[in-house]
Amino acid sequence: MAALTGAAAIVTGIPISKYVIAPSLGKGDGKWIDLGEIGGLAAGKVQMVAYEFMVKDGWLVLPQKGFVWVKSDGDGKLTVFSSICTHLACNVIWREDAGIFECPCHSGRFNLEGKPVAGPPTRPLTVLEHKIEEGKVKVLLTV
Amino acid sequence: MKNSENMSQGLLKLLALDHAVDFLKNTTISSDALTWKRVCGSIATVLVILLFLSGAFMALYYSPYPGAAYDSVQYAEFDLPFGDVIRGIHHWSWNLLLVVMLLHMTRTFFTGAYKPPREMVWVSGVLLLLVVPLAIITGDLLPWTQAGYWTTRVRVSIISSVPVIGPFMVDLLQGGPRTGIVALTRFYVLHVIFLPAGIISLLALHFYFLRLKGLADPIMPSRLPKRNIALLPDMINRWLILFIVVTLAIGIATRFWFAVPYGDPADPSDSRFVPKPEWWVLFLNQLVSIFKGPFTIVGSAVIPGALAGLLLVLPFISRSPERRPVRRWKEILVAMLIAAAILGLSVMSWIEHFTSTVA
Repeated sequence: MAALTGAAAIVTGIPISKYVIAPSLGKGDGKWIDLGEIGGLAAGKVQMVAYEFMVKDGWLVLPQKGFVWVKSDGDGKLTVFSSICTHLACNVIWREDAGIFECPCHSGRFNLEGKPVAGPPTRPLTVLEHKIEEGKVKVLLTV
Repeated sequence: MKNSENMSQGLLKLLALDHAVDFLKNTTISSDALTWKRVCGSIATVLVILLFLSGAFMALYYSPYPGAAYDSVQYAEFDLPFGDVIRGIHHWSWNLLLVVMLLHMTRTFFTGAYKPPREMVWVSGVLLLLVVPLAIITGDLLPWTQAGYWTTRVRVSIISSVPVIGPFMVDLLQGGPRTGIVALTRFYVLHVIFLPAGIISLLALHFYFLRLKGLADPIMPSRLPKRNIALLPDMINRWLILFIVVTLAIGIATRFWFAVPYGDPADPSDSRFVPKPEWWVLFLNQLVSIFKGPFTIVGSAVIPGALAGLLLVLPFISRSPERRPVRRWKEILVAMLIAAAILGLSVMSWIEHFTSTVA
């Protein structure tokens, strides 16, 4: 009986577990997302830029929405920070008055360079790779 | 009279249920167990039945599709007769279930009722206490509200912070890295099929072990003469009264005073939304924010895992037949210290999340 139970478990278990795990194995691909034109940002200033692009999620193509923080370094140079807090993935918010990025979930704080300065986060904000094509800023996101 | 009794006997025979009915009639419960102090287990059973009933019918109007999920829940709640009551009963029942299960477990611990030969009654009960939060976590996402979505994002990133297996566990749970339609469908199916199946099995085991090993005798023998009470019809009648009272109480309370909080539809790009932890995870949340960087795993997995493990093995490490609390002061002291720590962490977390003003 033990052998037959084992055989029945294998016969049903292999297809079912492959069936269940399949969508979990896909690795995210990098994708260049158009943020549009970003002009008139003074050096040292930070601006929120929202984006929306279509992404295939399972059997649907749905809009994926989000935003990044763009910092001007002067001379048209930009730094693009991911909005995702490195502690627990809440969205950080730029506070102009204090000059910090603050995570509302556990009061984690990052300075203008994205370095953690207070609260639970220990890793800096992710700097996203970007390029400027025909005046438009494009940023590389893992989708 | 005689005739109708014969008819019902005949019907039971026809359905081959006569033996089952005889079994229930011959199953007795000592009158010692019928005190108000020992009512929590019965209330928990009633709440589980209410959760299954309300949930099964809520599923009639639910559509697991980002966006539409929110609309379907709103439709059921506001456009259908008793929609608010049925959702309210589901919502408050799980909150109450957690409270009642904790009281039930606390009493079982203090009176030493978990000790041999009832080890497996305790173990199946602890497993129920561990499965119910999974049902809550999967259920929170289903209405597709801001609170449900962002709470899920935070929970998912806590799981993925566990080294090595964390990220894969998240991908397995969500069917990928995104909290989208695949994740919502998985949460839905776990919530309405797999987890209820687990809860029913564990509950059946809980009652089976209880029937096999018997209820614990009171520590102080009652002066009243002991009677035996039949499960059918006496105990079932008591449960039915309890069921009616609990249903009316929650239904009326939710209709007139405690509407289920709902809120806005989920918007993954809305940074202004700050998820606030539910009351029962406050202490876990605080653990996660205390242990930082490489020590995150201590708060997210080691301590919660050790607590769950300790509960599971309790009847195997505390085997002496002594049940009087005074003679077991060491283990009771340890338990009270742990409970105080959990309460303290919860209060700290509550102050951080509910009283501070993030402008």
